[in-house]
Amino acid sequence: MSSSMNKYMFILGIVLLFHAAYSAAQHRSYLRLTEQEFTSLPADIVLQTIFSLLLAVFGVTMIAGEFKEIRSNIDLQKKTWKNLNNRPSFYTFNHRGHIFNPIAFSRSSSGKGALEAN
Amino acid sequence: MASKNKSRVVEKSNGEVMAFSEGAIRNNAMVVEYCRTSMAALGGGTAGILGLTSLYGFAFYIFCAVSIWLLLLLKAGPQWEKYFTSRSSLLSSGLSGGLITYVLFWTFIYGMVHVY
Repeated sequence: MSSSMNKYMFILGIVLLFHAAYSAAQHRSYLRLTEQEFTSLPADIVLQTIFSLLLAVFGVTMIAGEFKEIRSNIDLQKKTWKNLNNRPSFYTFNHRGHIFNPIAFSRSSSGKGALEAN
Repeated sequence: MASKNKSRVVEKSNGEVMAFSEGAIRNNAMVVEYCRTSMAALGGGTAGILGLTSLYGFAFYIFCAVSIWLLLLLKAGPQWEKYFTSRSSLLSSGLSGGLITYVLFWTFIYGMVHVY
């Protein structure tokens, strides 16, 4: 079910709950005016109240957000060995690569080439 | 990112070791807490509208707690073990915390509907 549908269900439940509350208050004032004893609410108000509660709570439960898998290997499964082995603190740029590739080194240094320096 | 990758290692009774993701557990607990709080508020309102008094109100709270438990299990689907470590703690955890919210809304709505 789509999330907007759940949102509408929640709003409908709240509105119905307010309507039931208003009906109950009306019933109470009717009893007070006719000087009758209060025993219990009419069945239709009770049914509407419980139904709207369930509707609203169902909406809230579905809105609240998705559950995530708690097993940690689900997260790790997606990662490649290259990603896991990546440690930026241990990067080293001063390696023997410049000896094997003098062109790249001479381009980066100013004036002297790698071979003359040696 | 670093906190997301933290994991909690639990050894089961049969010696099998399970590693749980801390971030995912916290996310699920947050969702459950959200549902619980709204259920306590709405259920308290309903009890107030129905005009429940004394022990009937508390019985209705138990009904609310069981129904939110069933709804959460419905949301989790048949493979609830993927999301929670135990089903019974899902029912019992946060019962007393929700009761405070429930009584607050119960008395408030009861006063609004039935007293005034």
